[in-house]
Amino acid sequence: MLEEFEASASAKKTKTIYISTVISIAIVLLMVGLLGLILVHAHNLSRYVKENIVLNIIVDDAARETDILQLQKQLDVNPQVKQTQYITKELAARNLQKDMGEDFIKFLGYNPLLSSIDVYLKADYANNANITKFKAELTKNPLVKEVIYQQSLVDLMNQKIYSISLVILAFAGIFLIVSIALINNTISLAIYSQRFLIKSMQLVGATKGFIRWPFVGFALLHGLLGGFIAIILLVGLLYLGYSEIPDLVLLKNYYEFGIIFLAIIGLGMFISGFSTFLAVNKFLRLKLYDLYR
Amino acid sequence: MIGNTVIRLQNTDIFQQKHLVLSDVNLEINKGDFVWLIGQTGSGKSSLLKVLYGDLHLTNGEGHSGGFDLKTLANKDVPFLRRKLGIVFQDFQLLSDRTVEKNLEFVLKATGWKDKTKIAERTKDVLEKVGLRSKLRKMPHELSGGEQQRVVIARALLNEPEVILADEPTGNLDPDTSEEIVLLLKQISQNGTAVLVATHDYHIIRTFPSRIIKCENGKILDDVQLV
Repeated sequence: MLEEFEASASAKKTKTIYISTVISIAIVLLMVGLLGLILVHAHNLSRYVKENIVLNIIVDDAARETDILQLQKQLDVNPQVKQTQYITKELAARNLQKDMGEDFIKFLGYNPLLSSIDVYLKADYANNANITKFKAELTKNPLVKEVIYQQSLVDLMNQKIYSISLVILAFAGIFLIVSIALINNTISLAIYSQRFLIKSMQLVGATKGFIRWPFVGFALLHGLLGGFIAIILLVGLLYLGYSEIPDLVLLKNYYEFGIIFLAIIGLGMFISGFSTFLAVNKFLRLKLYDLYR
Repeated sequence: MIGNTVIRLQNTDIFQQKHLVLSDVNLEINKGDFVWLIGQTGSGKSSLLKVLYGDLHLTNGEGHSGGFDLKTLANKDVPFLRRKLGIVFQDFQLLSDRTVEKNLEFVLKATGWKDKTKIAERTKDVLEKVGLRSKLRKMPHELSGGEQQRVVIARALLNEPEVILADEPTGNLDPDTSEEIVLLLKQISQNGTAVLVATHDYHIIRTFPSRIIKCENGKILDDVQLV
């Protein structure tokens, strides 16, 4: 039935219109998809940065090694914690020596540094309010002498990420509206060129459903096709991006890409199908008299 | 519907876009009738036809067409009303990109025919009736104007309508071809299908005298004589 429809009224003219419809769907989906990918990368960047915020838990000098390891184990099972690292005072001294290029222990005669546990929190918990709570709880522990983290950095980070995400989201929202309007317009024109065919079908006694479904079926196909074209272009852009900025690879997540691609196809099919449905309905409802106005 | 009546309007007012076009219309057309419909442009001929095929709603008065009550006709029933009617219009042409056969097949499929052999049979039947059996595989543009109009009439016959509504069926045709077309419509009416033809061509009405209905000054005049 679809093939038959393809070969129908003024097929050549129709085909040109369909090609331009598919192309405009593809372009719009490409833009939407690109914003989606930027959003995902920004989100992953923020997660990456947040999970690299370190809390230094300075352990009391008198604490025994087993107690410290016990504390580390406790932290490891805490659902907020992503990972921990136990830094003995010897390790700390060696690190500092390396940084300073000077053997300060020999100079001082003792190691003034304290053991510490570096804690990296999961991104969802890496905000100021939570860190303050987390810190307060830790401080209650007699083993803990001090918890150090750079509050201003966390604040700044979260603020920036929030405003950047907001801007991108706003763009995506505007784009979505524009894209729907654009595709809708193209499709309305395509259907407009078929209005006499639609009217003819009605005059011979075809039901609305019978007239409508080949149009909608084709529209879904166009949406699918537009989606595939957009995805191919997006994959190309990703590849280009990764080869130009190798660090971006850190932020890639195939699962999220898959969701975006599926969403693009879904969006394409939905907008195309729904616009066509509305446009065909419009001409199905029109009286013969209105066609000439 | 009583007996042989296929179209009946009683005390009907016909509106086009809120304008009263024809008032107090009384009209009865029976099986096998051949009726001319005349009147100046804008006199309401087309509106009258539109009411009969369900493109305009009937609000005042009673009306029946093809077995449907026009007053209670729901939008979803309009396609089924049209399957009882055959419509032959100037603007309502063949699909130009496919053969005569495919044109007819399309209509049959659109009106619920599924069986391929029956579709092929019916297609040949109607082309036989209009004398174009040999043109099955021709494209519309390979046919003359008269032949194209015959195919349109064949298309109108597909679902064995009770009435054929024709609006200027000879509009673009030369006199000889016009006569052929009207002759064909006459034959169809003799086989029991009512035919209502709207036209401006008085010459052809004189050649084929029959009952004449005239739209004039917002009224319908039945059994008019040409002067």
